[in-house]
Amino acid sequence: MPDAPSTAPSPTAAEDAALQSALAAAHTAVWGYAVVGAALPLEQREPVAAARQAHRDLRDRLAVLLTSRGVEPVGAEGGYALPFPVLSAVDAAVLAVTLEDGTSSAWTWVLDQATETGTRELGVAELGAAELRAVGWRTAAGRTPVTSPFPGLPD
Amino acid sequence: MSGPLSSSSAAGAFSRRSLLLGTLAGAAALATGCTGDPVEDADAVTPAQVDQLAAQVQVQETLVTAYDSALSAAPELATTAAGLADQARAQLDRLRAAAPGAGASSNAPPAPGTPAAPVTDGPPDAAGAREWLRSRVTAAADAHAAACPAFTGGRAALLGSVSAGLRGQAGQLA
Repeated sequence: MPDAPSTAPSPTAAEDAALQSALAAAHTAVWGYAVVGAALPLEQREPVAAARQAHRDLRDRLAVLLTSRGVEPVGAEGGYALPFPVLSAVDAAVLAVTLEDGTSSAWTWVLDQATETGTRELGVAELGAAELRAVGWRTAAGRTPVTSPFPGLPD
Repeated sequence: MSGPLSSSSAAGAFSRRSLLLGTLAGAAALATGCTGDPVEDADAVTPAQVDQLAAQVQVQETLVTAYDSALSAAPELATTAAGLADQARAQLDRLRAAAPGAGASSNAPPAPGTPAAPVTDGPPDAAGAREWLRSRVTAAADAHAAACPAFTGGRAALLGSVSAGLRGQAGQLA
């Protein structure tokens, strides 16, 4: 009699779910930065393009990683609703802060859930990158303090 | 458009943060010797990790001391660095809470592979204090980032978060 298929969850199931959240955050950021860029004058769009490309690269890397594990990567939503109207450069900077803070939350969750050392190495690097971008946008938004002692964690 | 940008993310973040708080609360319970709960067992630390966590507390203590030294040598730095120093102290408090048995000052040696922040030197002079301090912040961020992957659960999240926060601080001091 053949063995019954194993119903045991994958050892990386929790980690994969957290990576899916990080991937969803990357999709959101790629979309959101298009809105940020559209609200800024041309001469202020360089950091927007760099940030958007960073999230694109991360999105692609996560999709490859999940696929290699036999997990179907989550796709982008058909559309997103803005949390507030983006009518000025300051609004755009605040939206960028929201995107990066969401990214940081997703990656702290990955760190919490990860079972693979390599995933935690990726997580700590991406968390640092997101916070560096967030500092720039908090400055542009006129927020104080511009730094956060615990990016992605509750205050 | 559909697919709210913030509502589902916010709900997820709330859930995640609650879990992280629970995990870190478990760390605090471990520090008092209250073990046995399944949640705490799942995020238990090995003796080697206890030493390594204590080493990260020591790294952060060194950084807090560095802020004090830099601000003494160059009081004009206060405009930029006083708030950063407060954040570094808040990080130290949280690391101590997550480190079982960590006291006010740890004597644990740095774990292998963990870059240690210099302990004994001070800023060369007022003019060089900012750059000296920035290098210390970067060293501490590097040390926490290097230690993070050796941990799991809430402690990995905390070390990663503190490291990221220090990256932001270093950027402000550049």
